[in-house]
Amino acid sequence: MEMILNTVRMVDHDQAREHALGDEKSLEQNLAIGILNPSDFKKLNLTRSLHINLSNKNGQVIVATKEDENIPQGTLLMPVSIWSNQLTNVENDEITYKNIPVNVEATRDPITTYKDLLNSIKNIK
Amino acid sequence: MERIPCTGCSLLCDDIIVRSDGLFIDEVIGACLKGKERFDQLTSNNRLLNPMIRENGVLEKSSWEDALNKTINIIKNSSNPLLYGFSNVNCEAQLKAIELARKIDGFIDSNSTICQGKVLNMAKDTGITLTTITEVINKADLIVLWGANAAESIPRLLNKVLFSRGKFRMTGREIKTLIIIDPVKIASFNVMGVRDLALQIQPNKDLELIRMLKEECCVADSIPSEGVAGIDNYDLKRLLLHLSEAENGVVIVGQGILQPQSESTIIRELLELIQMINLKQQKGRISFIMMGGHFNMAGFDHIALSTCGKNENLKFKNNELVESNDNIVSKINKEDFDCSIIVGTDPISHLPHNLSQKLASKPIIAIDNRKSATTLIADVVLPTAITGIETGGIVYRLDHVPIELKTILKPPNNLPSDEDLLNQILDKLNKT
Repeated sequence: MEMILNTVRMVDHDQAREHALGDEKSLEQNLAIGILNPSDFKKLNLTRSLHINLSNKNGQVIVATKEDENIPQGTLLMPVSIWSNQLTNVENDEITYKNIPVNVEATRDPITTYKDLLNSIKNIK
Repeated sequence: MERIPCTGCSLLCDDIIVRSDGLFIDEVIGACLKGKERFDQLTSNNRLLNPMIRENGVLEKSSWEDALNKTINIIKNSSNPLLYGFSNVNCEAQLKAIELARKIDGFIDSNSTICQGKVLNMAKDTGITLTTITEVINKADLIVLWGANAAESIPRLLNKVLFSRGKFRMTGREIKTLIIIDPVKIASFNVMGVRDLALQIQPNKDLELIRMLKEECCVADSIPSEGVAGIDNYDLKRLLLHLSEAENGVVIVGQGILQPQSESTIIRELLELIQMINLKQQKGRISFIMMGGHFNMAGFDHIALSTCGKNENLKFKNNELVESNDNIVSKINKEDFDCSIIVGTDPISHLPHNLSQKLASKPIIAIDNRKSATTLIADVVLPTAITGIETGGIVYRLDHVPIELKTILKPPNNLPSDEDLLNQILDKLNKT
């Protein structure tokens, strides 16, 4: 399903806080999430145990979901983080953090790990 | 007990009370979640306490001498270094970083360039009326949050500007109208009262709304009966009335208004709209505040402007500032650099993946006080003291007012401040 991705900074999902205080596990729990309207949650046939596979021309990532009726239908919110960065893009030498088209589908695959993402940037040991 | 400014965000609240014996902080009173996080960093497991260098692909603890030598080696072998970050360090460190960039013929820029600096750049052509938090507290009768989720990004901002009782606004909240324009029903909507206006705009329709308001400023009754951008005709009339009748209004702009596609047009047209309203205004004016997040994002603009005459994208050649059409994004995108010095920021967590890959393909020297995605992939990691707690200095608040920070604790392991560390690097470069 096509949705619009908006990356946001929320006080409970702040990357600086997680990096400062958390470990890799807490980073994944708090930042590897997509927040969407309950009606979109239903349309995607999601359950709490399922994840969402997000993809667009910039990349692909799998994250957990959270329902929030305050999010407009068709919009997906993600905290600004290394997970949402898989989908953000550069246009005219500017970074686009909002209104990014993204394809969303339910999946049983596990969440993309922090380590996997770092390794995709640089092969670290 | 001591009252100190908090460096949890760019509001730099100066009413935080700490009790400390100079070695530990026993109590922090008055800090919000972000402020508390800042003080918690002192004892966090993710605190960087020792320099590290990457050997055979593994990042390992090292001596200061080895880490500094490797830093100098990387810089000496570079002909096109990139310096980036500086929104979480004091102005003294920013000044030193510009000196370093000049010395090594580098390209230097701050986070502001992909955030609130964009508004200032647009304002070079259109002009802008800025205001301060104090003036908003004392005089404002209208506060507009446009694409700005103040309740979560700058948690105490609304406490200060909306709920406070100012010198000329003794009735406080009762006389201050809050308007929120945002596609998402954000947390700030929760403080709305009956006189306030919550406008849930359709995603990416800000430009339509701004253009309609500009048209209405020129030709009365041009508001379409069906409304614009998901906002009905009645609410649009109320919005325009508030904007044109306010004695002292402030528009607080956040990332939401900066980021949509064709963003430069949106910022420019918003600035033009406010100018048009101010020209029509009989009894007041509307001003701007840019809601940057990091505690000294505004500082780099001031330091760069005062030392180099421009606030961003500083390129040096033969130790002189030269013209450059590049910005930090284009430099990384074109891979027009051969090493990077990242100070007090985490680009790997906020740049798109393809830019992160390009940044990581060249040696990275990371200077920070905590672990981050950037320090994890860096080639050299140099830890520093936490600004605002373990080192003082001057920083600029989000309304561009300078604030002096205090030192209340000694840093562990005698960690240097960002300024001291950059100075050490400069000294070593001068000697080699």
